[in-house]
Amino acid sequence: MQKERLKMINERRHEAVTKHFKKNVNRRVFILTQAFPFMFIGKIKEVIEDIVVLDVETTSVAELEGKEWSVHIDSISVFYIETNIGPSIPELKG
Amino acid sequence: MKRKYHVVAIPIRIVVNTFGDHNPNGMMYVLKENEQKVKDLVKKNPFTPVDLVEPLVIRANAGDIVEIQFENKLPFHTGMHFYEAEYDVCNADGASVGYNKDSTVAPGDSIIYRIHALEEGNYFFADLGNPSSSKNGSNSNGLFGGLCVENRFSWWTDPVSGKPMNSGMYADVHHPLLPSHREYVWMFHDEMEINDVTGNRPINHITNQEEESFHGANYRYEPENRRAQLISEGVVCPNCVGEEVHHDSWVFGDPSAPILRGYVGDPARIRLFHGGQKETHVFHYHVHQWFEDPQDLSSTIVDAQAISPQSHYTIDPLYGLGSLQGSFGDIIIHCHLYPHFAAGMWGMNRIFDTLQDGSQCYPNGVPIKALQPLPDRAPPPKPTKQKPGFPNFIPGKVGNKAPRPPLGIVGGRDMTELERHAAIEKPRPGAVFTDPCPEETPVKEFNVSIIELPIIYNREGWHDPKGRIYVLDEDVEDVCSGKKEPEPLVIHASAHTCIKINFTNRLPHILDGDAFQLVTRTYETGFHIHFVKFDVLVCDGANVGWNYDSSVLPGETIRYSYYADVELKAWFFHDHLFPLSHQQHGVFGSGVVHPRFSEFLNPATGEEVDRGTQVTVNHPLIPNYRDFALFAQDFTLLFDKDGKPLNPPKFPGSQDDPGLFGVNYKNEPLQFRLGKECDPAYSFSSFTHGDPVTPILRAYAGDPIRIRLLQGAQEESHSFNVHGLRWLNERGNLSSRLDCQQHIGISESFTFETFIPRPGDYLWAFETEEDLWNGLWGLIRAYKEKVPDLIPLSDRPMPMKQSRPLPECTGKKPPPAKKATLLPAKGPIRTFDIVAFQVPITYNDFGDHDPYGIIFALQEDMEDILQGKKKAEPLVIRANVGDTVDVTLTSKLKFDLFPFKDGIYPYPEVKEQAFYPPSLRISLHPQLVDYDVQTSAGETVGFNGDQTVGPGEKRTYRWYVDSQLGACGLWDMADIRNHKSQGAFGAFIAEPRGTEYVDPYTLKPVRSGANVILRNPLLPDVREYVLLIHDGVRLLDQNDELIIDPIDGILLPPPDLDKEDLVDTYDQGSRGFNYRCERLINRYNKNPVLHKLFSSIVFGDPATPVFEAYTGDPVTIRLITPAERRRSHTFHLHGHRWLFDVKDMDSRVESFVGHNVAGGLRNLQLLGGAGAIGGYSGDFMYRAGNIRWDLEQGMWGIMRVHKEIQKYLPPINE
Repeated sequence: MQKERLKMINERRHEAVTKHFKKNVNRRVFILTQAFPFMFIGKIKEVIEDIVVLDVETTSVAELEGKEWSVHIDSISVFYIETNIGPSIPELKG
Repeated sequence: MKRKYHVVAIPIRIVVNTFGDHNPNGMMYVLKENEQKVKDLVKKNPFTPVDLVEPLVIRANAGDIVEIQFENKLPFHTGMHFYEAEYDVCNADGASVGYNKDSTVAPGDSIIYRIHALEEGNYFFADLGNPSSSKNGSNSNGLFGGLCVENRFSWWTDPVSGKPMNSGMYADVHHPLLPSHREYVWMFHDEMEINDVTGNRPINHITNQEEESFHGANYRYEPENRRAQLISEGVVCPNCVGEEVHHDSWVFGDPSAPILRGYVGDPARIRLFHGGQKETHVFHYHVHQWFEDPQDLSSTIVDAQAISPQSHYTIDPLYGLGSLQGSFGDIIIHCHLYPHFAAGMWGMNRIFDTLQDGSQCYPNGVPIKALQPLPDRAPPPKPTKQKPGFPNFIPGKVGNKAPRPPLGIVGGRDMTELERHAAIEKPRPGAVFTDPCPEETPVKEFNVSIIELPIIYNREGWHDPKGRIYVLDEDVEDVCSGKKEPEPLVIHASAHTCIKINFTNRLPHILDGDAFQLVTRTYETGFHIHFVKFDVLVCDGANVGWNYDSSVLPGETIRYSYYADVELKAWFFHDHLFPLSHQQHGVFGSGVVHPRFSEFLNPATGEEVDRGTQVTVNHPLIPNYRDFALFAQDFTLLFDKDGKPLNPPKFPGSQDDPGLFGVNYKNEPLQFRLGKECDPAYSFSSFTHGDPVTPILRAYAGDPIRIRLLQGAQEESHSFNVHGLRWLNERGNLSSRLDCQQHIGISESFTFETFIPRPGDYLWAFETEEDLWNGLWGLIRAYKEKVPDLIPLSDRPMPMKQSRPLPECTGKKPPPAKKATLLPAKGPIRTFDIVAFQVPITYNDFGDHDPYGIIFALQEDMEDILQGKKKAEPLVIRANVGDTVDVTLTSKLKFDLFPFKDGIYPYPEVKEQAFYPPSLRISLHPQLVDYDVQTSAGETVGFNGDQTVGPGEKRTYRWYVDSQLGACGLWDMADIRNHKSQGAFGAFIAEPRGTEYVDPYTLKPVRSGANVILRNPLLPDVREYVLLIHDGVRLLDQNDELIIDPIDGILLPPPDLDKEDLVDTYDQGSRGFNYRCERLINRYNKNPVLHKLFSSIVFGDPATPVFEAYTGDPVTIRLITPAERRRSHTFHLHGHRWLFDVKDMDSRVESFVGHNVAGGLRNLQLLGGAGAIGGYSGDFMYRAGNIRWDLEQGMWGIMRVHKEIQKYLPPINE
């Protein structure tokens, strides 16, 4: 029973996050992941099923920037999407 | 599988270099199949190194049972004791310990050792049949080796022939699934007896005094003295001095020291062992970095690593040979301790860029041995006439110094035709044969000069008239005119920066002579860097092998270029041409690579800066932080204000611990902080004496901070402690243990990332007695309210406006600290009434004793201890996570019971002995637990109130146990000279919540004690043994004669033993565990049988703790080093292993704990419990790994593991 409920929670979370990202296509996003390269700043280009496709402006490593990256929804630990409300994500150069 | 080796211990003449220096009484382990061959070769080559004369290295795979038939052909009992392995301690320990069967071997006899190699790793082995540290012992003469345990299913081949091999230092290791790699064994060792070709001790040709003792690797060394002799005799390079060409193959050809050969990009593994017996060395490998723990990707990345006797590490260079940038050429590997480096402790990693099939020659005509390419990698291109490959495109002239690099020197030469063919497409200054900087990387340029100027170290006018420092060009005038205080240059940049350095040599051509040094023509200098990526051929700031000499002459500028690829912490820079001559004058600095997008501000003004030992860092994503850099220094050559040299050596040019100490070109000696009261208890008080001149690291309470800890000079270990703060040992690993102490050797670099929880003054100190005495301490000052010259961090709440004036020096006693118990308690309160008093301590059954011991004890135990009903033991108290601990300390110290009332403590000494009368005040400082420094630090520091107690006084400290810290040291901070080495220390253990502690024999609850059973409703019962390592003890023998340890404890001392010069100040004194030591000399005098000295059958059990358990019992050892000398100790427990970091499941598994020095802490949960995974029983020795001078002096004891139930020892609950 508990297992089923847990499954439901995970599915709902998964669904909600996917929906949220879809709703915000073309907006800038800040993402932290547990695995390398740990951080992305970029534009949400599209969402394909549960994969977010990003136009990456900045990561922790310069070599990975200016490229398109696909990030699985489940690997996102923390995210912030820039809207007209709240602070904007810094433009980081260098 | 079972793997068999037949090993023989033989006497052998060990020739250590081509100059004919040799050990006539060498000893080695050798495979039986090579025994006769090696003997014949040595006979034919009495003054030439023989390849087969090398420490024995054998190999096995993880999971193998290794069966060794060991045959002894030496004239005394010997054995092979293996680290890391599991084995039946009664049959295969290679020793005769406790009540075990003797597993050493008589001359002419043999034995079978069967050991289980459970995991991949470095299994050091050495003899324990003859534990003498003198030249009559076995270890100093070479009786050690290594078993390299590879991953399962591996096989190995000879790198030259490609054929299978049975033994050897270098192998190519292959695996069906993993990449093949080069495996190199690097076996440091020291203190071996060395004679020259005449059979006498080598003489230094400059000082005409006896040469430094042997410091080498793999039975080889290549001393500067020997090579410089060829210059002075006019054989080579008549315009050279010596030190600047010490490593130059153009001048001398290749050294006898190890050369580890490979091709660019080859995966490689260096198995680093310390087979020596005394010194802690620092292994440094240019160009490369590696994980401190190769199996743990969260572990710290290092490029210099301290290693103490009988310990070992695995060095897996990241990105393979040549690192990320694919650099090739000669890459030096050395002990970074300069006197050791100059003595000959170095070698090279030679990285070729073309195929070596045996048909090529070096520029001097010596054939290049073939080198098989690794089978799973494309072989490098074959050499051609146009592209001959390294080193044959370099336009050097044999017998002369290496040429300068092309393009580097401003106004210097262009490339030759051959260089052009070897160069990259777009060569530029500092990046000719490889370019470490990716295209379009942001560039940061620094103009750095090196200058000479006098530096004043303290208010008493102690000074270095020939200070030499790095400084930015724009600061030269301000520093020289006195507008800016000289400090070590620290430059700042973000990750992903291409750093360009324009380096100008503004030094005089000559370093003048004085009481410390002889005149030296230090005419060229370089800027050698650690950590960053660079082209080693042109940018090393050094002169190594067949590379260029990338240094610069006076008045010239050279251009270097590096890439800071990721956040690298602090990278060390220094000179590599004349460091022995002048690095101790201040020639060191650091670059800090911060996270990308960082901005660096002057903490006082908020202006943007790019240098400084203290900066404030703004970052758009992570919390802003304060960044502080501290550099420890020793061999600091100082004069007092009247020009008298301080601690000069016996003769100029001697490397025998000359001079004193510094931190960031300052020191604050305690001898000058006695004041009118003459009470050491207030030495650290700013109320009484003002702030120290040493760095005060300034912040607001709550600020995140990063401390960059480095050591700039020159030879010794130091122990950095911060009181009241703590950090993750592995910064990027949340599973890491918490630490508040760090051992450091020269060139190592550590970052401690933490925050300051409360306002107040926090003491930082290099806390061995002699360092602290001579002024290596300072403060971290956290303000509560806004001060005018410190900007707040922009992402922290603005500090309140200043409501009261800042405290000032009054010259009087500090006011008492506020009551700690006014602070709120958290969780259950546990109270301890602790008394400090004097009582004689007996260290062993032979009557060695300290009649003037000072101990802490529970109030309820004091009378019993004084009356002799209870033995004096270090106080060990415990509390659980979540507890608040209220410790009430009472002083019962009596002036009459101090031995040296005149204020001079004669032995063990410290450098610059001075009047420092015993304090009757005492305090109790705890490590790691959480507390308010203004009330409960157990010390009187800065502008915090007085927290010491005088006779009859009481004070309560309040400590919070907020984490499962395990071992924490406790010690007095009121008088570091007259209290601590006399026993004024103890331990606090933070246990899991809900734990009860019972006596292992009565099962009754206890409130203190080093040996308990921990009972917790959620955990298995655990036997806990607390071991306090301590040294610097002043002992008298049974006739009340002073024991001059370590000298008095040396077994088989040779008649020519130079007692006076043999030991450094920090070796002085006796040492042991828990106020006990079982000095082997006592046993030897009673029954002179060397291999039986650890035997309880002959001598009964030792006086040191004998801990008992049953096979399989969970065991945790809490290892604490509260006191106090600078010589670090290795700890080893036979037959057992543990996680290096008890909290980190990814941590490596080892059977040793290295460099234990004041403040060191470790928790060891024995894998498999008592008797290890194999469930063995018997007597397992715990001991120091330092054959010289710990083991002889009594640093050993026994963990007894029973198979059968003993009546007196109740079993623990399952």
